[in-house]
Amino acid sequence: MMRGGRSLVSSPPAFSNDAKKLLVCTSNTVSVFSTVTGLLITSLEGHTALVTSVIVVPPSNPAAKVLCYCWTASLDGTIRYWDFSLPELMKTIDIRMPIFSMVIPSFLDVPAEENGKHQDLFAYVSIEDTKETQERTKASRRQIRKCNLSKSRLVGRLILGETRKPEVLTVSPSGKFFGIRNKCKLHIWKVLDQGSERAAVRKITLHHTKKITVIAFHPTQRIIAAGDVTGRILTWRGFGNRAFAASNGVADQKLINVQEDKPGVRDNDDADSCSTWHWHSAEVNVLSFSSDGSYLYSGGKEGVLVVWQLDTGKKKFLPRIGSPLLYFIDSPDPTLSSISCADNQIHLLKMPSMGILKTISGIKAPCFYPDIYEGLGNGIAFDQTAGIVAVRTENYCIQFYSLFDDRGVSEVQVCERNHQPGDDVTVIVTSVALSIDGSLMSTSEVKLAEEGIGGLVCLKFWDAGSQNKEFSLSTIVYEPHRDAGISAVKFHPSGNMVVSSSFGGDFKVWKCNHDVIQNDQMRQNFSWTCHSVGSYKKKPMTAAAFSADGSVLAVAAETLITLWNPYKNVLLAVLGETLTPIVNLSFVGKSDNLVAASCGSNPQLSVWNMSKLSVSWSYKLHIEAVASAVDLSSFAALVLLPESSKKTTFKGMDGVILLFNATDPVPTVIWSVRKAKGGALCFVQVNPSSVEEISIDGKAPEVLLAYMNGDHEYVLFDPYCKDAREVSVSQKEGLAAHDHKGQAGQYGYASIYGELPEFDRKRPEAPWVPSFPSDRPWETIFSGSSHNLPPLTKLCSAFLESLLEKRTAAAE
Amino acid sequence: MAEIRAEEPASTISKTFLIKPKLKSKPRSLPQTPESKYWSSFKSTKIPNLVSSISSLSFSPSPPHLFAAAYSASVSLFSPLSLSDGDVSPSSTISSFSDVVSSISFRNDGLLLATSDLSGLVQVFDVKTRTPLRRLRSHTRPVRFVKYPVLDKLHLLSGGDDAVVKFWDVAGESVVLDLMGHKDYVRCSDCSPVSPDLFVTGSYDHTVKVWDVRVENSRSVLEVNHGKPVEDVIYLPSGGLIATAGGNSVKIWDLIGGGRMVYSMESHNKTVTSICVGRVRKENDGAESMEDRILSVGLDGYMKVFDFGNMKVTHSMRFLAPLMSVSFSPDCRTRVIGTSNGIIFAGRRKGKENVESGRVGNVLGFESISESERRVLKPTYFRYFHRGQSEKPTEGDYLVMRNKKIKLAEHDKLLKKFRHKDALVSVLSRKNRENVVAVMEELVARKKLLKCVSNLDSDELGLLLTFLSKNATMPRYSSLLMGLTKKVIEMRVEDIRNSDALKGHIRNLKRSIEEELRIQHSLQEIQALGTSRASSVNLFSGLGNLHLPSLQTSLTPAALLTSASLILMFGNKSRMAFVNFF
Repeated sequence: MMRGGRSLVSSPPAFSNDAKKLLVCTSNTVSVFSTVTGLLITSLEGHTALVTSVIVVPPSNPAAKVLCYCWTASLDGTIRYWDFSLPELMKTIDIRMPIFSMVIPSFLDVPAEENGKHQDLFAYVSIEDTKETQERTKASRRQIRKCNLSKSRLVGRLILGETRKPEVLTVSPSGKFFGIRNKCKLHIWKVLDQGSERAAVRKITLHHTKKITVIAFHPTQRIIAAGDVTGRILTWRGFGNRAFAASNGVADQKLINVQEDKPGVRDNDDADSCSTWHWHSAEVNVLSFSSDGSYLYSGGKEGVLVVWQLDTGKKKFLPRIGSPLLYFIDSPDPTLSSISCADNQIHLLKMPSMGILKTISGIKAPCFYPDIYEGLGNGIAFDQTAGIVAVRTENYCIQFYSLFDDRGVSEVQVCERNHQPGDDVTVIVTSVALSIDGSLMSTSEVKLAEEGIGGLVCLKFWDAGSQNKEFSLSTIVYEPHRDAGISAVKFHPSGNMVVSSSFGGDFKVWKCNHDVIQNDQMRQNFSWTCHSVGSYKKKPMTAAAFSADGSVLAVAAETLITLWNPYKNVLLAVLGETLTPIVNLSFVGKSDNLVAASCGSNPQLSVWNMSKLSVSWSYKLHIEAVASAVDLSSFAALVLLPESSKKTTFKGMDGVILLFNATDPVPTVIWSVRKAKGGALCFVQVNPSSVEEISIDGKAPEVLLAYMNGDHEYVLFDPYCKDAREVSVSQKEGLAAHDHKGQAGQYGYASIYGELPEFDRKRPEAPWVPSFPSDRPWETIFSGSSHNLPPLTKLCSAFLESLLEKRTAAAE
Repeated sequence: MAEIRAEEPASTISKTFLIKPKLKSKPRSLPQTPESKYWSSFKSTKIPNLVSSISSLSFSPSPPHLFAAAYSASVSLFSPLSLSDGDVSPSSTISSFSDVVSSISFRNDGLLLATSDLSGLVQVFDVKTRTPLRRLRSHTRPVRFVKYPVLDKLHLLSGGDDAVVKFWDVAGESVVLDLMGHKDYVRCSDCSPVSPDLFVTGSYDHTVKVWDVRVENSRSVLEVNHGKPVEDVIYLPSGGLIATAGGNSVKIWDLIGGGRMVYSMESHNKTVTSICVGRVRKENDGAESMEDRILSVGLDGYMKVFDFGNMKVTHSMRFLAPLMSVSFSPDCRTRVIGTSNGIIFAGRRKGKENVESGRVGNVLGFESISESERRVLKPTYFRYFHRGQSEKPTEGDYLVMRNKKIKLAEHDKLLKKFRHKDALVSVLSRKNRENVVAVMEELVARKKLLKCVSNLDSDELGLLLTFLSKNATMPRYSSLLMGLTKKVIEMRVEDIRNSDALKGHIRNLKRSIEEELRIQHSLQEIQALGTSRASSVNLFSGLGNLHLPSLQTSLTPAALLTSASLILMFGNKSRMAFVNFF
């Protein structure tokens, strides 16, 4: 049981005190990465929902720098205290309300233990009050509360503020202030001296005309900076002079009176001056002051980190990061900082020069295209032997991600373009296919036309060097099927043949000629040429698959399946017909069964027997992905549940994975999953090196099933092991808990076997009938070549019968 | 790939991508081999207007290797040196012949020239004064060949239509030997390069006979049957092999092995008329050496280069006339080919003037190796500190590589600055159409092409229209450019109406499209003949007829383009189909 592919950028990370470790919130764990190597050291496991905040306890004296303690807050309503060097859970505080954000302002002011007098440690949390649902509107249930960490409880009845949405708390580095943004306003609280826990904190509000997205406090002075949705950065100086000074009882009349002295400050706000900088074209996501307070870092959607000199407003840039920036974190080491990007990468920067030292690379998020380009497939390919998944990314790359190591291996630039976030989509990588040994890759891309001019479809073949996984381009084919788009690309099991099918009505088989060039280093030179072209009644070819021994090529011509000899390009047989176009074809291992999945209004999963050339069984299911292992006779299908059953039975689970034996229509195992839309499935072979990590009860599984959901989070499990099934079921709860909704911990899926019969009972009603002499048989009985037609007597009766049926139907 | 990685950790994640034209598909044929490069390096000069068929060509064995050409009743001497200056007039001509000259041969010192003509007379001329020194009269029928032995200055060999080969003593003007044995016209002979006594003759009775003047009874030593009337025979430089040409084939025979056929080269389509030995420079493991080849020419107009070491045809060259004779100069710098219609194709190669042959070249190569080595630099020397930037690193030095500088073209730089229109104009003025198309594709990918077009001023629009009129009908680009042309004319119709220069461009455009349409029509007709799809062509030509008159009358070019592009789209496919079909 392994899981991975989680988002590294759901919450801001934190550096350890010696800046050698980076603590990253990865769903319900906290992963500790080394900043030197960029590899995972350990992870803190214990939370049962998304971890939203991680705060490293700063050292109270230089000797304490080596101590590694941190506080974490999570949506499961707990705050935990860890020693992350071991790692060990020290303390858990359960406040029973999901925490969206937590700050602990007063570490610095906490006197050390040796002072004799122990003082309480307070945290401020942004929570959702789930208890009082009846009397209050939902809008005001998000609250800012104070929490006494030393006594493990919330400070009762003290509600600092209420907001419509869960807001992120920001604390000043000095620990004197913290604030939130609330639409066009800023709320700032001053943290009072320790004293009692009920001491009231004072609040001021600053106003702006645009929605504020992020705020930052100056480390030493009373300066606050805020970014808004239009890309402006506002800097208020000397905020709170009036209110916070008045809290000391000394009313300063002069400040109140002289309003002309406050340039740029709105609405009689409590600040000396307000200045505006405008460089960003879109909303500002990142704002941070440097530790000495002389620079301000800002970044946003355009993927450029801007360094402002605070006094002069001069700018320096780190351009072309290629993805929207989310967080900028300074480390205690002045030469190191990190930026988190929306494409799930954390870059460690060498500071004054802003060079990228290392990148902690998570799996990149799926890219979403406008609806016109739907039906392109999910752009995920698996290397079964090495346990590597290739996903297409937004910046025209193919990212290779190791499923076992849970980290990015490499990236291949498919189109020679730089991606700029916010650009119009003009080039789309439509599909990617890997050969079984993973040494060859084929990608296809579409260049979209500008008002009908200059569209281009490209098919590219890549090969990897023998040792390293660096793919290099070997062949480009422009417009492989005229101007029609490519629906599927599949590799022959031997690896020297590729089939590409197109919506334009033909498919092509490409053959690899490779010759070894013997210069300084041995290098194989691959070149691909078209071997044969086939088409069937000019129908769009929607899917293709090679059989396990490579002797049969199945190509779906919309609703029919055509079987070909790939070497001689001879049509062997035609299997007919499904109700809606087939989108996925797959041979089941070495057995003589073929799985076809069609979607649309009448989705269908059908299994065809190759020896009888007929349907052995079919279900009316919406199939998202099908996977079959190379040498097994079973296959797994990822099923999207219909809208109706989603709400009632499965509680947010929108998909199930069914494991079938190809000959048996009753699924052997069923798992329920979330976010199945856009998901992928694959059987992954286990190589001996990684056996220890996966083995359960000392028994190593020979094959694992990998499920990747629509957010590219994945889980690896043994589909045949009984124990693993238990594990996986319990883990599914965990997977469910990835969801950010933050309900309490009872996801009703623990009783999976209780629900199964209901599911099964529903199914066999419709689909048990083998195949379908459908309601319009006259369309199918004459299809196929003439010498294959049944005798005329047989045909005639069927034909007349169909006519009769039609007439009766018309009569009614 | 244009991916260029810096040595240090990159400070940005993105890379610089150059705008490159689409790759062209590689030709299916093999790329040019070094040998065909060698043969193509002979810069060809045409010597026209010689009266009739060039019956024989011969090089003088002594520098500067004059060559003589026999045509009609005259012999001309040409200097290869003046050829390289472009002067194609003969340096001298001998025209004191009573009949057509059939063959010429230089003596091995290059001072004397023997000729034979169809009146049966063999003459010996002094090359310098062009006076006939000896007249050898004995043949009763036309003489077909005369040959000076390679290692003998005193004798001559001749033969002709009386089927007798005569061995002459030149000084006494007397026949030494009458060699009988051939049963038909004797057409050719060659003398052994290693022995003064051996020679071969070829005849129309299909046989090649080897003679030895030392044999008592004047009988041939060896006889091989070529199978076709023999047109030419040569000794290969070793002296052990001969090559015979007859019919469509060139055959190689092993004389030492008793007249065994080694190989038969049959890559000519018509009769091979002449063969000679050529030399090619080869580089093996850095050392340069010369290898021998057989050059053969035939009536099919091809010159083939045959490597008889590997038994392969290594190069082939086409001339637009039947070829009659070929010769290759001993200094390997000139090859001449004579045609049947009085043209000599002389090819001359650049090279050192003093290179005599491969053997001499080796001597020169040896000299270049023994260059004096400079003294090794040590940090104690004064000179060590005076090394300049061009100093090469020594073996133990640690090399710090400078990052490779990416060379950006002007349009690349402009595109980087998002000056799209300027980039388009810059690349249009550069006249490299592949780059223009690549830039246009990049602009499409940025969705800026049409905006650029609308911003062009009148001169720049003229530039664009010139480009389009030249290239819009090229099948490789037409899918993009036809659409663009249509859009350009739609968008800028007002400007075009107001400017005469632009109207001229549009006229050119119209002309090229009409031309293309005509081609498409004829292709369609041919295709229809082949595939009996006459109906579709009728329909198509009807469409064309309908539109073409309207084009000529109407002043709105957009309408023209609409119809034309429609037809062109269709037409391009059919042209491809046509090519595939054949």
